[in-house]
Amino acid sequence: MFLQLLGNGLVTGSVYAIAAVGVSIVYGILRLVNFAYGDVLAFGAFAAYFANTTLGLPMIAATLFAMAAAAVLSVALDVVLWRPLRSRKAGFMSLFLASIGVALVLRQLILLVWGPQPRAFDVNPYKVYVIGSVRLSLAQVMAIVAATIAIMLIGLFLSRSQTGRVMRAMADDRALAQLSGIDVNRVIRVTWVISGFTAGLAGVLAGLVQSTFDPNFGFQILLPVFAAVVLGGIGSAYGALGGGLVLGIATELSTWSGFAGGVDPVYKPVVAFAVLVVALLVRPEGLFGKARTV
Amino acid sequence: MSALLEARDVCKSFGGVHAVHHASLRVEAGSITALIGPNGAGKSTLFNCISGFIRPDEGHIELGGKRIDRSPPHKILHAGLGRTFQTARAFTRMTVLDNVRLAAPSHPGEQIPTLLTRVGASRRREREVTEQAHELLRLVRLDTHADALSGTLSGGQRKLLDLARILMASPRLILLDEPMAGVNPALREDILVHILDLRRERGIAFLIVEHDLGFVMQASDRVVVMNEGRVLMDGTPDEVRTDARVIDAYLGTRA
Amino acid sequence: MSILTSGEFWAFVGVMAGIYTLLTLGLQVQFGLAGLLNFGQVGFMAIGAYTMAILVVKAGWSMWLAAPLALLAAALAGVLVGLPTLRLRGDYFAIVTIAFSEIIRYVATNEDSLTGGSQGTINLSGAGAAAQYDGSWQRFQQWLGGALHIGSKDVVMLIVVWAVAVVLLAATAAAARTPWGRVLRAIREDEEAAASLGKHVFGYRLQALALGAALAGLAGCFYAWQFSFFSPDDFQPLTTFFAWMILILGGVGRVWAVPVGAAVFGFLFAATRFFDFPPFSYLDSADRAYVRLIIIGLVIIGLIVFRPQGLLGRRDEMVLE
Repeated sequence: MFLQLLGNGLVTGSVYAIAAVGVSIVYGILRLVNFAYGDVLAFGAFAAYFANTTLGLPMIAATLFAMAAAAVLSVALDVVLWRPLRSRKAGFMSLFLASIGVALVLRQLILLVWGPQPRAFDVNPYKVYVIGSVRLSLAQVMAIVAATIAIMLIGLFLSRSQTGRVMRAMADDRALAQLSGIDVNRVIRVTWVISGFTAGLAGVLAGLVQSTFDPNFGFQILLPVFAAVVLGGIGSAYGALGGGLVLGIATELSTWSGFAGGVDPVYKPVVAFAVLVVALLVRPEGLFGKARTV
Repeated sequence: MSALLEARDVCKSFGGVHAVHHASLRVEAGSITALIGPNGAGKSTLFNCISGFIRPDEGHIELGGKRIDRSPPHKILHAGLGRTFQTARAFTRMTVLDNVRLAAPSHPGEQIPTLLTRVGASRRREREVTEQAHELLRLVRLDTHADALSGTLSGGQRKLLDLARILMASPRLILLDEPMAGVNPALREDILVHILDLRRERGIAFLIVEHDLGFVMQASDRVVVMNEGRVLMDGTPDEVRTDARVIDAYLGTRA
Repeated sequence: MSILTSGEFWAFVGVMAGIYTLLTLGLQVQFGLAGLLNFGQVGFMAIGAYTMAILVVKAGWSMWLAAPLALLAAALAGVLVGLPTLRLRGDYFAIVTIAFSEIIRYVATNEDSLTGGSQGTINLSGAGAAAQYDGSWQRFQQWLGGALHIGSKDVVMLIVVWAVAVVLLAATAAAARTPWGRVLRAIREDEEAAASLGKHVFGYRLQALALGAALAGLAGCFYAWQFSFFSPDDFQPLTTFFAWMILILGGVGRVWAVPVGAAVFGFLFAATRFFDFPPFSYLDSADRAYVRLIIIGLVIIGLIVFRPQGLLGRRDEMVLE
């Protein structure tokens, strides 16, 4: 049972990890806590659903379609909203509240187009892989494989590529980075594209793992994702990856009967937040974050 | 006589960098002590350790015999140690008068239980405080601005406001963080005179971080020199001025 | 279209505006006065409503005792939430408070024996019995209606809610002018400077959080009385966001801007119901609801972009940063 829960935790954690990277880089580079991210994620899932069921594309193609769609949406939002706000020197609060407005509009648009009923991808729900004492559905295996590849690619991109390094520099010290002559606008575009990719991918994976999803599920995932970002240290992309995995595993394992009967599975989100609060008490800057002064 | 403020072997590192390394200093009651050193010497960090804004990794800081190095800033003020900041931090959205009134200690109107149950005492204290505030503002010649928003004051005026404000809290020792920075020469004379007057008339001790060495030599009883986190020496202005190590640390800057 | 001129309908809108005024006044105390980013206000509202209902139905208390205790419970919740979290940076604190309100909703949904679960308060006495908690309130409303010669229940409620709201608005405005309020304003602007002047920053923030939570709890009680029934789904984060919108719409930092913001918001929200013209007339009612919220979302965004100081705030006092 323990190993099964660990397996589930890895799956959940991978989804959180990927989503968390998208939130983290946007915060690190744009200082924006993107509340609309959950709904972009949901949009990705529904875009994939459209590609998968209506257009009949296989899951891989549908996923790529979803990632592209989410990226386009993210960049469009930047052009239409975030850039004008930036030029007006909007502060943290303005951006946060505006992102709430965007979240609201996106959610209603999804509801308008697809309605509130739960959907499922066209994936064989009966196929099961057995590894030792762990049983994983086809969807879960797809999620783990995709997530592993994605995490590796993200890690490589951040550490090896020129753009990745520039992004990390900007997150670290924006003024200094600007002074060294990097093309800030290009970096911002890339940031939104990547954020769109991660949202789209995470949306599809989450939809796969949950087996059914409805337009509200983006927000439900968003909070544990925020928790993962904060846990890993806001602004640190690696931290986001780590925070997501830790949170996913901790959440699933908490239901293990070996822990004094275990937590009622219904309360898994509560566990996520409890982990977050405890972690912040011990280390207010997050696991990988930088200390705040005073 | 034991000193009013005594810091012993204070250490603070940030990620491997020793900002302050076994720094010790004493401030006698009613004296003016200057803390000087090149940029990056650790003066601000030491200041922040003493005033409770940074917790030292090691070391012992006592005010009037009581340990303060583990106390939060507000408790350190209650113990009698006040401070100003390098850039005067006036509450710009409040009036000049309110800025000073705010600093008054023991005001029943500031706590909800006493605000509600001791209405008369609150009102009386507020009247007292208002009068005292006007007095202090007259002292620094800002009284005519009493009802203006403090955001409208110039940089130098805000420094004076800072001074008036911290005086309201009746501290025994005031840490002044670069009181001359950003202040025009005429106002500098003013501030110098105020400090000397306060020391003479109210017996307040001062620990001053300053780069204006002219001021330092003129006003201080003792000078503490820091460099690279350590205390180089601690002596009278004349001793410091002619010390080879100090001249070296400043790389030829005239003392 | 006749509903547009119906007094009952607008009385209902007015009651909701009053309830939101109380909820948002809590935010004004927390953010306007003390600078706290509480995005979990609906959680305190839920605690107020549920505590009152549970005490009346399960413990058999008189409603007149249960309600004050509900406010106390909300304030206590504010303290409990604040103790571990108020030292966190503003943005972390915001996220943690959202988590708090979702946890409350979660617990309310799953602890059937305590809260009636997802079916709501009607289930408070267990299956087979339709629990009611507002018997005393209904009687009070009837008595008041008789005394004032007003037949409509909603109009009576309107008067009560707003009478209470006005008293509390005046009290808050007065509190802001006291030395206590002065300390809060200083802390909001520069907590380090305030600490250097001897102010116990953490303690003051906790007080502001608790007081704002109590106001939310009161809003919860009125909500409970207005509808005679509620469930965990009534306390979603969207409610908190609406309250923040009202706060911004009116103008942060100005106590009397809150009712103005609430009234305007309530009017806008209700008015979008009457868009009977094309293209709305082509949509069914469910779709229309979505479109209404889209419009509101766009208004919110427009507000942030074009007039962040709201209706009554001043540009130079704009405190959204």
